[in-house]
Amino acid sequence: MRVLPFIYLAYMFVFLYFLIFFLLIYVRNRKDLFSFEELGKHYGVSFVVPAYNEGETIGEALKAIFDIDYDNIIEVIVVNDCSTDNTREVVEKFKKVYPKIKLINNEKNLGNAAGSQNVGLRNARGELIAVVDADSYPSGDCLKKMVGYFDDPRVGVVTAPVYVRNNDKFLERLQYIEYKTIGFSRRLLDYVDGVYVTPGPLAVYRKTALDEIGGFDEKNLTQDIEATWSLAYYKWKRRMCLATQVTSTAPTKFKEWFSQRRRWLLGGLQCIKKHWKTMLNPKTGMLGMFIVPFFILGTFLGSVGLGVFIYIFSTRIISNFLYTRYSITANTPLVTLNDFYLTPSFLNYLGVLLFLFGLVFTFIILKVLKEKLLTKQRMFDLFFYVFVYNSLYPLILISSIWKLARGKMEWK
Amino acid sequence: MFGSQKHVFWQTLLVTIFIFAMGIIAGVVFENWRASKIDYLYRQSEVVLLDLQAQGQLSSLPLFDCNTSIQETLSFANRIFEEAETLSRYEGAETFTEEIKLEHKKYDILRALLWANSVQIKKKCKADFHTVVYIYEYTKPSIDTKTKQGVFSRILSELKEEKGDEIVLIPMAGDNNLSSVILMMGIYNVSESELPVILIDEKTKITELKTVEEIVKLIK
Repeated sequence: MRVLPFIYLAYMFVFLYFLIFFLLIYVRNRKDLFSFEELGKHYGVSFVVPAYNEGETIGEALKAIFDIDYDNIIEVIVVNDCSTDNTREVVEKFKKVYPKIKLINNEKNLGNAAGSQNVGLRNARGELIAVVDADSYPSGDCLKKMVGYFDDPRVGVVTAPVYVRNNDKFLERLQYIEYKTIGFSRRLLDYVDGVYVTPGPLAVYRKTALDEIGGFDEKNLTQDIEATWSLAYYKWKRRMCLATQVTSTAPTKFKEWFSQRRRWLLGGLQCIKKHWKTMLNPKTGMLGMFIVPFFILGTFLGSVGLGVFIYIFSTRIISNFLYTRYSITANTPLVTLNDFYLTPSFLNYLGVLLFLFGLVFTFIILKVLKEKLLTKQRMFDLFFYVFVYNSLYPLILISSIWKLARGKMEWK
Repeated sequence: MFGSQKHVFWQTLLVTIFIFAMGIIAGVVFENWRASKIDYLYRQSEVVLLDLQAQGQLSSLPLFDCNTSIQETLSFANRIFEEAETLSRYEGAETFTEEIKLEHKKYDILRALLWANSVQIKKKCKADFHTVVYIYEYTKPSIDTKTKQGVFSRILSELKEEKGDEIVLIPMAGDNNLSSVILMMGIYNVSESELPVILIDEKTKITELKTVEEIVKLIK
């Protein structure tokens, strides 16, 4: 009995499951996607902006924060983690114009955003803590649309979709599509209490909730994912508001992009390690029943997929090598017309069909988010995103496993 | 809000199982359709072979025509060689069923009969065509064997193109556990462990790769 077709079928099943899962939620809630809780109580909000060598972007980020239409921003705490560029000077210059800025300069470099966020958290006076990355720019209506959720006393955090600010280069445009799909699917997960990350570019936390989980985990490479899981563990609700947004500067070079993705993956593995005991424990709610299994399944499928990929790849290399050697011995052509005559199996047809479904779903997302789709460039980007970009995951996984094996888990 | 929507996990599972099952059923139907195409070709070939065998039985009668018999043997060999290519392509694309594998076995029997018939015709009619029987490993070839067999197939295709009706080319699996094939292999001293083997005119055995020119020389 051949094993590979069954592995392919298992992957197809999982892919189909999640595709239908998101489609069903979308169909049921399509008229409600952009709704939000009306602003009731005007909670006091402290912004916390961790910064390390963000001189180029922090000025604009602070400007965006002060452009937010909300009347109870108590303070904007910038935690400078011993930047070696002009971050400190830029913030001090802004402080003269915006007296609500509070600049904290760490005595020594903490080496991770979580450490600086915790410093900010300890110094914050607001009932709500809005964490914003120093290269991210919240939209003016964000607090008016996000704060209303906190009228429910069990809401611990509210997040917004992160969109790519820079989308001129090819890699940026691909991330632009990716961020749109991530934001949209996170909103769909909100309907089943399945939000598993409240990303660093903008998340508004209830201070008491953050205090209960002990702040951000400084050992974790993705402290935003970990904080969300901990909040879920303590039964805090995590909400997602699609009616507003935050834009962020996405990596512009492949190397930066790659190391960012590797950090995300390693951080995810750290989260699994920390919370795996909640797995399938109904008492831990959605954390144990959905979030942790979802991540473990993803990692498992990724690893098995990687194994299969390596097996197929190495077999093909050996086979091609032998074929070339034997063909030279026998003096026969390496390639003939017959080689181009393909007879696809039904599995191939199913695979193509699923890819097309995936493409249609991405298409729907961009359409709902009012993106212009019918341009040559966008169509090309979309195809490339679905067929190639998403297939780069095994490369990141290999690199992450290698890094993990060497014990190199630094925050970069 | 959350409580009422959490049923979506189970609902999704049911819908997925349903769609997936439909997909598998469609796959089985699709493969059966391909198998039935092969089966149709097989049944036609079977009739031709029976006809050839019947002619062989009647060879002692005065009206028996050797030329016709040789021509029909050659054209039948060409036919099942072409069908073998279709069979091999469909077989490589089979996932859900084992139907085409069964067809392969049936074809192997047909090929063994063709081989026996060709030997008989050569003897009775003193025919000048050559039989080139290619016996390969089918059930679990290693990467090395599989690659080698790929090159052998290519060499034989070239040979057939060059020699045309001068040769009867019969490719068949040697490890399909079929008594007729095992018997033929036994008669001509071919063992399973030395596959793949090319047997020319039931005498010359080739187990190592050779160029088409070298094989042509061996045929002469």
